[in-house]
Amino acid sequence: MSEQPLVIIDELKIDVRLTRAKRLPIVDTATFDVKRGEIIGLIGESGSGKTMLCRSLVGTLHRRGAYIASGKLVFDGIDLVAAKGAQWSEIRGKQIGYVPQSALAGPNPVMLIGAQIEEAILQDKNFPKSKVKERAIELLNIVQIRRPEVVMHQYQHELSGGMKQRVMIACAIAQQPQLIVADEPTTGLDVTVQAEIMRLLLSIRAEFNTSIILVSHDLPLVNQICDDIVVMHAGTTVEKIPSKDITHAKHPYTRALYDSRIDLVEPKGKLTTINGQPPTVGSWPAGCRFSEWCNFVRDECRVPQTMPIIPLGPDHYTTCIRYTELDK
Amino acid sequence: MQKGNQLTRKIIGRFLRAISVAFWVMVLSFVMIRVAPGDPASARLGPGAEKAAIEVLRKQLHLGGNPITQFFSYVNELIHGNLGVSLQDGVKVVDIINRTLPITIYLILLSTLCALIVSIPIGTYIGWSGKGSLVYGFRGLTAIFLATPNFFIAMVGILFFSVRHNWAPVFGYDNSFPQNLHYLWLPVAVNTIILSSVISRVLFSSVSETKDEEFVETGIIRGVGRRRFFWFYILKPSLAPTVVLLSYMMGTMLGATVILETVFSLPGIGRELVGAVLTSDYPVVQGILLYFGVITVLLSFIGDLIAYLLDRRVKI
Amino acid sequence: MKLKSMSQRIRAWIARPGGVGIVSGIFMMLTLMILGLLVPLFGNRDDAFVGKPFAPPSFQYPFGLDQLGRDVFSRVFNAVGVDLGVAFLGVTIPLAIGTIVGIFLGLNRNKYFLSVIGSIIDGINAFPLLIIAIAALTYLGPGLKSVVIILSLTNWARYARISRTKAVVVTQQNYIEAAKTLGYPKWRIVLKHIAPNVSSETIAYALSDFILVITVVAGLSFLGLAARPPAAEWGSMIADGRNFIGNAWWIVIFPGIALCWAAVSLSFIVEGLSRRDRGV
Ligand SMILES: Nc1ncnc2c1ncn2[C@@H]1O[C@H](COP(=O)(O)OP(=O)(O)OP(=O)(O)O)[C@@H](O)[C@H]1O
Ligand code: SF4
Ligand SMILES: [Mg+2]
Repeated sequence: MSEQPLVIIDELKIDVRLTRAKRLPIVDTATFDVKRGEIIGLIGESGSGKTMLCRSLVGTLHRRGAYIASGKLVFDGIDLVAAKGAQWSEIRGKQIGYVPQSALAGPNPVMLIGAQIEEAILQDKNFPKSKVKERAIELLNIVQIRRPEVVMHQYQHELSGGMKQRVMIACAIAQQPQLIVADEPTTGLDVTVQAEIMRLLLSIRAEFNTSIILVSHDLPLVNQICDDIVVMHAGTTVEKIPSKDITHAKHPYTRALYDSRIDLVEPKGKLTTINGQPPTVGSWPAGCRFSEWCNFVRDECRVPQTMPIIPLGPDHYTTCIRYTELDK
Repeated sequence: MQKGNQLTRKIIGRFLRAISVAFWVMVLSFVMIRVAPGDPASARLGPGAEKAAIEVLRKQLHLGGNPITQFFSYVNELIHGNLGVSLQDGVKVVDIINRTLPITIYLILLSTLCALIVSIPIGTYIGWSGKGSLVYGFRGLTAIFLATPNFFIAMVGILFFSVRHNWAPVFGYDNSFPQNLHYLWLPVAVNTIILSSVISRVLFSSVSETKDEEFVETGIIRGVGRRRFFWFYILKPSLAPTVVLLSYMMGTMLGATVILETVFSLPGIGRELVGAVLTSDYPVVQGILLYFGVITVLLSFIGDLIAYLLDRRVKI
Repeated sequence: MKLKSMSQRIRAWIARPGGVGIVSGIFMMLTLMILGLLVPLFGNRDDAFVGKPFAPPSFQYPFGLDQLGRDVFSRVFNAVGVDLGVAFLGVTIPLAIGTIVGIFLGLNRNKYFLSVIGSIIDGINAFPLLIIAIAALTYLGPGLKSVVIILSLTNWARYARISRTKAVVVTQQNYIEAAKTLGYPKWRIVLKHIAPNVSSETIAYALSDFILVITVVAGLSFLGLAARPPAAEWGSMIADGRNFIGNAWWIVIFPGIALCWAAVSLSFIVEGLSRRDRGV
């Protein structure tokens, strides 16, 4: 038996409560593992449910009226589906560091940056108070913020986007968590800063053997630093593939992403170049949800069914039932 | 560096504003007394007053002679802290204000304190929970309180606590500390009801906005402890609009206390003002007005400043 | 068939955010106004000694009789016209003055002029309305007429501030610039584009101001500075009854309820409209 993965996500289904009686699935279903020290790239277009999936890992789904409807979600042997308050406070900020999607709005506007980093450090109740400042500066150095002493005494509105992002990462790694969830840490930043953040994540992994779930729209970018790629489409994880094999993807959607035929940032405008608009939550077609845009579609794809998970290797699976036809 | 400048400029701006408010009070009262129908001096002394007495009064009110020179001598006196004397009993206006203002301020501060104690938990709780039925009830109830004039709430209070039970005296006052609460608690309660309706409403809406902000989620995910979370992630980011409004409301309460002091016969500055108006005691009215103007400008400045210190997103 | 669709449409309108508030507010206000119209016309018994003074509420005199044996019911509804009327004038006149002054200031470019007027507006707004009114009554002498004059002379400043801010915003909008370059006369631009935009804002404020003015008028009367006895007016009726509250609560409570009724109905409308505006 190999070592247990750090995170196990198995046929996870997340619903949102619309009214008393009405439920809407927004993640349906997600399946993948994260091994220790592994970087997973979670890719998909806007609205495919990436953020919701990430939130299920830190137990804040209820803030959006969502909840785990079924499936398995395990972190480090803890069943997160059934986790209670005490367990969450063990996990949050200690075992899992989270860089929120809009990290630009992530820092608290009424606290000094230094205070927030110190707060993250002091989640460890045994941390010596006298060393907090020193450690905060050390963290800011790790995330390559210049003149950390100055930044400590600033508010978030005085920082640039890249700096806010780095501050959020510094807070996330304060406890040397086993897992970092970084939800689109580079969106809205310019290309050089993007590359720096990517390198930063790599160096953090190298130093602390942290697992990272890296959410992004940009498959080619993320592919450079990830071990495995998980592709989400319309609430489903449609393929998991080692990044070195990305050119041999076994799902038409993954291929479309890699060839950049789909601009994920502006789904409404650009996907029409393939064929119409991406499926919106609540109006998913039966069968394969990509069928309407797929060049390989056959009638059998539209038969109402749950798409099977077809294993193709230790870290590779696809949900396309016609994957054998793709290279013909 | 730059921020410091901004603050200084703000302080200077407010100072100028206080001066300009005071200036307009002077100008307006100077003009009003001239354009008002009839001769104020003979009107005040009533028919059958002696000519000499009227002349003395006219002089005291700066009514005779060249208006321009009169205005300057009048402003000059004010600048030297001479607000004149009451026409009623010759007491210095400054002394009247010094005697009555503390009671009013005491009443307002006490009401503010109570209102904060009441409205912070209510506003944050309802804003945070966001439960539909609760919000509905809260809005309805506060709308009713806000629309109800304070003197009517006061009358109902008197009916229950003074007439039915002898818990709150309707007359008299005692200046020493625990005893004065006996006279003050009902007016304070009336003020508190109205003030906390306003405050909790504003707090409610800013908390419900704050609640959905990303940084709040960050705080949850970071695992911030309950107390810290309540202060740094809920209350402090929501407090700025409340503070600004509160400082404004404290100014408005000067108006409200005028009525309350009359209802409860409290010897505060508000009742003094009403008395002065009813007896056409111009110097007293004018002196009180000057104080009120400067106090409101000052209050709103303090409010803005505290809001800025709490939350740097506030423009100062 | 057509009727049904009409009632359905009304129901749909009510179902939108704030609908319940608006409708119940209007309903409450209409009730008050209709009674305020009918009671003085029919069955007015606002004379002294229609019965024994201090007679408690009964079938014949639903709100009881006051210290002079006057029917409180009649007086409460006789006062509707006075209270709402004075408040109405006290809102609409400042509304008109303030809107016009504000637009004028919004278009004016003279710095010194603006700062002088601005400081007057600030000066007025630095005081609570009630305080200004009380102070000004010193010079004009008590009375309802003075109250209307004073409200017109002072309350405009609040409207002017709103109107000016909006006017400045509107004038900076592209279509105004376009109209200017097209050479439309200034008065036409003001009438067609600026005034409607600005007044929609000030009118919205006027509605909530109405609540304030109603209570200020009643408050002034309560202090004996506006309506004076024996006039039927809620504030002065409450002040009247204050001395007898120990044995005749109805003299105070019923005018008070009428006053609240008016203010609350307006506040329901305001609240409903603002919710509809925000769509929640
Ligand atoms: N409370 C809610 N009610 C209804 N739908 C919701 C709710 N919260 C989220 N959704 C929907 O769930 C879907 C998934 O949202 P999610 O934020 O996870 O997408 P995402 O993949 O992170 O997209 P993006 O790349 O834009 O961040 C979206 O289509 C969103 O509209
Ligand atoms: S299952 Fe069919 S429709 Fe879906 S991706 Fe594969 S070929 Fe295309
Ligand atoms: Mg997202």
